[in-house]
Amino acid sequence: MFRHRRSEDDFAEEIRSHMELEADDLREEGLSPEEARCRARRTFGNVRAAQESFYLRGRWVWFDRLVRDLRFGLRSMRQSPGFTLTAVLTLALGIGANTAVFSVMNAVLLRSLPVVDPQRVVYLNTSATPNGTGTIGDHETFSWAVYNALRRSNGALSDLIAVGALSTDKIGIRIGAIPEQAEADMVSGNFFSGLGVRILHGRGFTPEDEAAGAPVLVLSYDYWTRRFNRDPSVLGTTIVVKGVPFTMAGIAARGFEGVDASRSTDFWIPLQNRAGFNVLGNPPENGKLYQADPTWWCLRLIGRLAPGVTRAQAVARLQPIFQSAARIGLGNPMPGEHPVVLSVEDARSFAGGYDQMYSRPLRMLMTMVGLVLLIALTNLIMLLMARNAARQREFSLRLALGARPAELLRQLMTESFLLVLLGGALAWAFAVLATRVLARWALIESSLAPDRTVLQFTCAVLAFSAIVLGVAPFRTAISGGAELALKTSAATAYTDAGKSRLGKTIVTLQMALCVVLLVGAGLLTRTLYNLRNIPLGMNTTGLIVFGLNPQSVHNQPELVHFYQDLQTRLRVLPGVESTTVSSTRLGSWWSNNSSFTIDGHDARTPDGAIALARMNDIGPGFFHTLEVPILLGREFTDADGASKHYVAVINELMAQRYFPNTSPLGHEVNGATVVGVVANHKYRAMDEAPIPMAWWDYAQGPGEGEMNVEMRVRGADPLAILPSVQKVVAQMDPNAPLIQPTLQRAQFETTISQQLLFARLSEFFGLLAVLLVATGLYGSLAYRVNRRTAEIGVRMAVGARRGQVVWMILRDSFVLTAIGVVLGIPLAMFVSRALGSSLYGVQPLDPLSYLLSVAGVGLVALVAGALPASRAASIDPLSALRTE
Amino acid sequence: MPTQPSDDRIALLQGTLDLLILRTLLFGPCHGQGVARSIQRQSEKVLFVDHGSLYLALQRLDDKKWIRARWGVSENNRRARFYELTAKGRAQLAEKTSEWNRLTEAMARILNAAVPQNEEV
Repeated sequence: MFRHRRSEDDFAEEIRSHMELEADDLREEGLSPEEARCRARRTFGNVRAAQESFYLRGRWVWFDRLVRDLRFGLRSMRQSPGFTLTAVLTLALGIGANTAVFSVMNAVLLRSLPVVDPQRVVYLNTSATPNGTGTIGDHETFSWAVYNALRRSNGALSDLIAVGALSTDKIGIRIGAIPEQAEADMVSGNFFSGLGVRILHGRGFTPEDEAAGAPVLVLSYDYWTRRFNRDPSVLGTTIVVKGVPFTMAGIAARGFEGVDASRSTDFWIPLQNRAGFNVLGNPPENGKLYQADPTWWCLRLIGRLAPGVTRAQAVARLQPIFQSAARIGLGNPMPGEHPVVLSVEDARSFAGGYDQMYSRPLRMLMTMVGLVLLIALTNLIMLLMARNAARQREFSLRLALGARPAELLRQLMTESFLLVLLGGALAWAFAVLATRVLARWALIESSLAPDRTVLQFTCAVLAFSAIVLGVAPFRTAISGGAELALKTSAATAYTDAGKSRLGKTIVTLQMALCVVLLVGAGLLTRTLYNLRNIPLGMNTTGLIVFGLNPQSVHNQPELVHFYQDLQTRLRVLPGVESTTVSSTRLGSWWSNNSSFTIDGHDARTPDGAIALARMNDIGPGFFHTLEVPILLGREFTDADGASKHYVAVINELMAQRYFPNTSPLGHEVNGATVVGVVANHKYRAMDEAPIPMAWWDYAQGPGEGEMNVEMRVRGADPLAILPSVQKVVAQMDPNAPLIQPTLQRAQFETTISQQLLFARLSEFFGLLAVLLVATGLYGSLAYRVNRRTAEIGVRMAVGARRGQVVWMILRDSFVLTAIGVVLGIPLAMFVSRALGSSLYGVQPLDPLSYLLSVAGVGLVALVAGALPASRAASIDPLSALRTE
Repeated sequence: MPTQPSDDRIALLQGTLDLLILRTLLFGPCHGQGVARSIQRQSEKVLFVDHGSLYLALQRLDDKKWIRARWGVSENNRRARFYELTAKGRAQLAEKTSEWNRLTEAMARILNAAVPQNEEV
C-alpha cells in the first residue's frame, strides 16, 4: 500500500518532543530547568546529522545530489547570462562545425550503401577496357556479354546486378499532360532482391520483368514524397518514360536513393532492350543496342558475395570467365595488348571518383575544424578559469563550510555538463542546417545529413569537451583553500602568477593557430577569386541553356526541321536576342574527343602519336550567340545545312598547331572544309587548358535527338523566360520537358563546385577562428585588467598618465600577438604547402595572404585590447584604492 | 560538544538496537525517549543508546511495518510520537530473539572453552 511519506518536519518535531521529555525527566532527577535542557541536548548528539540521515534514508542519493547540482548549476548560469551565452555559442560553433564536416566526410568517405549486409556487396571494376570498345567509365563499366557470362557462373556471387544509366542527366517523362524531367536507371531483375532493399508498397522487380523488358517501374521514397505527396494510390497508374507508358509497381524503402549517392534516382525500370532505351540514350551503334553490342561497355556491375566466399576467392573464380568474356566479339587482342583484370571494391555510397575528389579537401577541412574546436575549447577554459577565479570566494566559503574537494569537482563537472549539453543541442541543429547548405553548394543530391555514426562522433566530442571543461578549472577552484574565505580583498585573493602564465600561453597558441587558419583562408579566397574570374572566352551575361530530347523526331531532316522551327518561335519571344543549338552542353564536364585527319592525313602530335581534338556539333549563329570572336572566315549558316558540302570551324589553337604560317581556310579537317577560325574559349570546364577543337554543322552530321539550346536574353533575370519557352516547346512536342535549364555561367561553375565549396568553407572557418580568438583575447585581457584594478589605481595615484596605462594594457596584448605570429608563420607555411594542389593562380607562399593574416591578427589584438585598456584608463584612482 | 560515552558503557552492535526496541515495545506503546531510557535502565546503564540512531532505527522499523507510530500525549502532557508493535513485529521479535540466543550461546561456548595447554607456541 502507498503510504504518505513522512516529512522531515515531522521528524524534527519528534526530536523536539524528545528533548522536552528528556528535560522533564532530568528535572525530576533534580537538575535545574536550564541544566536539564542543556543536558538533554548534549546527550542527543548531532541533531543535524540525524536529520540528514533521515532525509537521505531510502533515496537515490546520487540522483538527489545530481538534481541539486543541476539546480545550482542552472542558477549560477542564470546569474551570469553573458558568460553562459558566450560559452554555449562558442561550443555550438566549435562542435557544430566539426559535426557538419564529419557528417559530410561520413557520407562521402565512410558510409556504406543502405542495403542489407553492405560488407558483402562489392562494385566490380576492370583494369581497363579492351581496345576497340566504347566505355562510360574506364574502370567501372562492362559489356552486356560480360554481365551475362559472369552472372551464369554461380558460386562466387549469390547475385550479380547490372545498372545502366538512361542518360547523362535527366530524362523526359510525362505524368498526365505536362512533360517533366526525372532521374532514372535501368536495372536487372534482381536489383532490389539482390541488394536487399525493402519495397515499402507494391512489388520490386523479378528476373521475368528483366527478360520481358516489362513496362513497370519502382519509385524512390524521396521522389514518391516529392512528386506524389506519398499517395499510395499512385501504384498502378502510369508514367510515360521517353514516350513509352510504364506502370508504377512499387515504392522502395526510405533512405535508398540508388547506387550512386552523388545523384538521387527518382525511379528504376527493368533493363529494356528496345529502341530509345539504349544506355545513356545513345543512338544504336551500327544498328545494335547495348545488349547486342559487345563493344559498348556501359553497364555498372554490383555483386553480392556468396556465403562463405571472400573477396579474393570471388575475384579468383571470376577472373578467367571475365577475361574470356571480355574478348567476345572483339577477335584476337592487338599485339602487346594486356589482358584486362577484374577487381572488386567496397560498395560505398560515393564511388567512382567522388571519394578521391573529396577525400583530400575533406581531410583538410576536418583538420581546420579540429583547430577551430581546439581554439573554442581553450577559449572556454580561459573563460571558466577567469569566472571561477572570480568565484574563488564562493568556493572557499563552501570549503570552509565543510564541502569536500570531490563535491566541488562534482559541481564543476555538472556545470560543464550543462554548458556542453546546451551547446551540443545547438551544435546539432547547426550541423543539420549546415549539411543541407553544403549539399547544395557541392551539388550533391543525396543526403549529407548527420546519421547515427555522426551522432556517436558528436557525443564523443561532447563528452571530451565536458570532461576537459569540468576538470581544467578545478585546480583554480580549490587552490584558494578554505582560509581564503576569511580574506576580504578581491585584489589579494588572487595572486598566483602560474595561472596567468598559463593564460598567456593559451592566448599565444590561439594567435598562432589563428594565423594558420587565416593564411589558409586567404590563399583559398584568392583561389576562389581566380577561379571565378577565369576568362571563359565568351560573354555569359544573359546566356541560358537547356536540353531538349524531342520524342517526335525520328530522322535527320525532322531533327533539323524541329530545331529550326523551335528557334524561329523562340526568337520572337520578348527579350530574346539570339539563339543557337549545340550537341554537347558547354561546362558539363562532358566532351567528345576524337582523332581527326588534316587534308586526308591522320593528325599527329609532335612525337608521332595520334592526336586528339575536342569536337562539338553546333547550329548556325553559335559563335555569334556566345559572342566568341571569329578571327578568320565565317561561322555556319542555314545555307550550310541545306548543302552537301561539309564545313568545319576550328579554334585558334588548332589553326596554330596544324596550319602554321598558313591560312587554314579551304583546308580539310575530317573531310570537311574549314570555313572559319574562332578564338580559344572554354568547353568542358572552367579550369581546363585550351586544346585543339573543331565544330561541325549539326544539320549536316548524323544527328542525335538530344540537343542543348543556348539563348541570350535581355533583363535582370534571364531565367524568367523559361515558362514561355516551356509553352513554345509544349506546342511542338508535349513529351519534351526542358532538361536542366540553367544560366550558362552557373553551368560552368558546376565544374569548379568542389573548389568553390572548399574555399567558401575555409573562409567561413577562418572567420570563425578569428571571432573565437578575438572573444578569447578580449575575455582574458578584460579579466586581467579587472584583477589589476588596484595596481592601476596605485600607478595612477602616483602619477601615471592615462596614455601610459592604456599602453601598458595594449602592450600586453601586442607582445602575446607578436609571439603568436612568430610561432604561427612557419606552421602556416607548412600548411599552405599541403594546400598546394587545391590552389589556383596563387603561390603557397603568397606574401599578400601572409601580410593580411598578420594584419588581421594584429587588428584582433588591437580591438580586443582597446576595450579593456580604455576601461583601465577610466579607473578612478581613489575608488580603485578603496577596494583594497 | 557531544558527550562521549564513559568507559564502562558499551556502544551497541550493529543490528542489536532493532531487537532491543522491539523487546521494549513488547510491554506496550512507548515514545522514543521512553524507549531510550528504558534500554539504559534495563541494561543498568551498561548500554549506550545514541539518540539519533534510535530515531532512525524507529523510522526504519516503521518503514518495515514491524511497528506503527502515531502522535499522542505523554503522561506529563507533552506531545509525543508513540510506537507500538505490529503482529509482524511480534513475529520478528520471537525470531530475532531465538537467533540472538543461538548466537550468544555459540559465542560463549567458544570464548569460555578451556585453552589446551600443549598447543602453546
